[in-house]
Amino acid sequence: MEWVGSVVDQDQPTAPTPAPSGLTAFVDAWAKAVSGTSYVPMTPAQLQEFLAGLTVRLVEALRSEPFGLRTGQQVGAELVGAHIASAEGLGRTLEVIDLRLLRDLDLAGAGLHDRMARLLGAVAAGYARALRDRTLDEQETIRRAAMVAREQAEQALRESEARFRHQATHDPLTDLPNRTLFTERLGAALDRSGPQSRRLGVCFVDLDGFKMINDTLGHQVGDLLLVSVADRLRRTIGDHLVARLGGDEFVILVEETTCTDDVLKVADAALAAIGATEVVDGHELTVSASIGIVERPVRGTTASELMRAADITLHWAKAAGKGRWALFDPERNERELARYALSAAMPGALDRAEFYVDYQPLVSLETGGLLGVEALVRWDHPQLGRLRPDQFITLAEETGLIVRLGGWVLAEACRQARRWLDLSPRAPYVSVNLAVRQVQDPGLVDEVIEVLDRTGLPPEQLQLEITESALMSAADRPVQALRRLADVGIRIAIDDFGTGYSNLAYLRSLPVRGLKVAGSFVAGLRAADGPASHTDERILAALVTLAHTLDLTVTAEGVETAGQAERLRSIGCEAAQGWHFGRPGPSARIAALLA
Amino acid sequence: MQRPDWAPESIDIERPSVARMYDYYLGGSHNFAVDRAAAQAMIAAVPEAPLMAQANRAFLRRAVQFLIDAGVRQFLDIGSGIPTVGNVHEIAQRAAPDARVVYVDVDPVAVAHSREILAGNDRATVLHGDLRNPERILEHPEVHKLLDFTRPVAVMIVAVLHFVPDSDDPAGIIATFRETLAPGSYLTLSQASDDGRRADERAEAEHVYQRTDNPLRVRSRAEFVRLFDGFTLVEPGLVWVPQWRPDSPEGAEDGEASGFIGGVGRLGG
Ligand SMILES: C[S@@+](CC[C@H](N)C(=O)[O-])C[C@H]1O[C@@H](n2cnc3c(N)ncnc32)[C@H](O)[C@@H]1O
Repeated sequence: MEWVGSVVDQDQPTAPTPAPSGLTAFVDAWAKAVSGTSYVPMTPAQLQEFLAGLTVRLVEALRSEPFGLRTGQQVGAELVGAHIASAEGLGRTLEVIDLRLLRDLDLAGAGLHDRMARLLGAVAAGYARALRDRTLDEQETIRRAAMVAREQAEQALRESEARFRHQATHDPLTDLPNRTLFTERLGAALDRSGPQSRRLGVCFVDLDGFKMINDTLGHQVGDLLLVSVADRLRRTIGDHLVARLGGDEFVILVEETTCTDDVLKVADAALAAIGATEVVDGHELTVSASIGIVERPVRGTTASELMRAADITLHWAKAAGKGRWALFDPERNERELARYALSAAMPGALDRAEFYVDYQPLVSLETGGLLGVEALVRWDHPQLGRLRPDQFITLAEETGLIVRLGGWVLAEACRQARRWLDLSPRAPYVSVNLAVRQVQDPGLVDEVIEVLDRTGLPPEQLQLEITESALMSAADRPVQALRRLADVGIRIAIDDFGTGYSNLAYLRSLPVRGLKVAGSFVAGLRAADGPASHTDERILAALVTLAHTLDLTVTAEGVETAGQAERLRSIGCEAAQGWHFGRPGPSARIAALLA
Repeated sequence: MQRPDWAPESIDIERPSVARMYDYYLGGSHNFAVDRAAAQAMIAAVPEAPLMAQANRAFLRRAVQFLIDAGVRQFLDIGSGIPTVGNVHEIAQRAAPDARVVYVDVDPVAVAHSREILAGNDRATVLHGDLRNPERILEHPEVHKLLDFTRPVAVMIVAVLHFVPDSDDPAGIIATFRETLAPGSYLTLSQASDDGRRADERAEAEHVYQRTDNPLRVRSRAEFVRLFDGFTLVEPGLVWVPQWRPDSPEGAEDGEASGFIGGVGRLGG
């Protein structure tokens, strides 16, 4: 193709640079045309340089032989690549090229207008294709970003849920599972289906003397110790679930046990792990722990039963001296429960008048006459029937109810004794037992004197029985109280003499009038002429002699046969009590004797 | 109830995002139908919106170039948006390959997109953060991996503060950065301003942005200049963005139409 242009040298395959002024004018116009159509990250100078480069290529394309569409398409694509990338950008570009390129650059020639039309078509096509590709790419990346962001948000949500769940199910101090998780796992272990014979075990672990460590070394050391114990437990028995229930209480769940021994091994390992000496915050600390263990078949047990049993057993281990485990014993538990029920029922029973008093004769061995009676409290329990003192007095002593109960017995016995006195001047004195707590009660003297006043019983008609151990453990005040009672004329006798220290020398300094010798000594007299009988008799004889030296009368308890009575009389024992002389019975029986 | 710390926000691409609307104004296709619809509503109210965005973006470019020329090599770009074209790291690292850039944005999609763009660039990173919690940003380990606060850092908060209401205490936010920055550090701010705007245009614009998570709080120059407290404004001060160190004298024409004011402040004289 033949064509003419002032800047074109037909013999030169490569074109000389177009006249600078024309080029600049064109590039200026182009830059202005596209400005604001989209954001272009270039300085105006950079943009002009870029557009000038494209202009040169467009001119080359117009002149190239043969004419091709490639350059035009590339220029279109490069515009988009430089972010001159919008519908307006394309429109204005085509307009500027069409209107100004030939004129500004002073181009002319046959067919040039045809070529221009095809060149513009090529630029538009290249531009449109590049813009479409770019749009699709950008859409793809932003969608991917949205997806990634959503996945991350979901992942974060899952993680935070997991973190939340961990927080809800773990102890923040030691990071051990907490009570919630333990309860869950225990519940699951109990519910899981499996053979009928499945068994499991639970160990309740409690540190011994932890409070003291906390109090003396501070909570921080206490906390560090708990963390250290937790670590040791986790390390030693990590196969089983170890949880912290709170404070210094831990629990171990041993699943799928075959026998009790499986759990005992775990408990031994736990004790050894805890008992190791650990340096905590510069302190060499050794702690021990007590463990309550329950191991039983899964069938027929519940989580709360297991926990309660383990807790009870833990207390047994503590009571047995700490630093050890105890194994749950259903029978012991039954007994303790019964005792507990009994002691809990006692105050109400006193109010409902379920207690009453029986009387047992104290007889003179010399004359066979009735000297006195011992008041013995009984409990007519609505379900359990009649209960003897040994079934409930210890409980009453433990709970402290003994003070009220003892006071009631005293008043009741005095009232009764006064009635007998009304029947006969030979009426017996009444002997009432005082528990340790009563002896120590500061109100004792006033209470006794008030009862005597109220019932009108002369003081000589009242004897108070005190055990030797109560006296031995007594401080000054109780001794003074006894002295005041004795001064009023009340007899004081030592009960169960011979079972404690039997310290006669000590008795000399006390206001005591008589001894009651324990039935166990008297029992030795039963076998007629056996060697044992001989020894017991000699001991008893010596005791009576000594008592007499101290001006004390002697009453023998538990006399069951005439032979025993006879022998006691022969060694100088003044009085006796026992089945041989009469069992405890209602007051009416004593009244009958007096009639 | 406030969202507890552990509960992440959800990604709701059914709502227009200001980051993607901004991309649309700049001519990008990193946006969804909701974004385009909102952006078009904005353009209907304020036809110059795309030009305003472009003017702001050009201001950002010139500011980064200025900072590089001033010798700054560390950038903390908060509210960095969708990295369409002419990002801070592109400008900075082209001029100074050792320049380091940390991007922060509150929009998780923008962050995810930035992360993809920055993969393989060990001098630039992006993290999800909120300008309104500057301590959190300043304590972030990623920030400290790239930026050394004993040396000058350029903090860029460009076209973001109009999304921060007065109740979030923008002055306090900037004070927090100021207290952490070493002498010789810079603060670059720009934001939409209503100086010389018609009240109905402003109302329309605010109405459009009510749909997004970022309601608009335009500020007058007098209000905005206070945010440079403690900094010395470099020439030519706080001006309409096209007037800030234009590449050519024509560039500075018709500054008010840009609707954005911006400036660069230097810390420590
Ligand atoms: C208009 S863009 C500006 C982008 C870029 N700085 C520029 O000027 O070219 C605003 C960006 O700020 C982000 N943004 C809004 N509020 C924010 C906040 N409180 N914290 C961080 N980024 C925020 C948006 O997600 C959006 O990406």
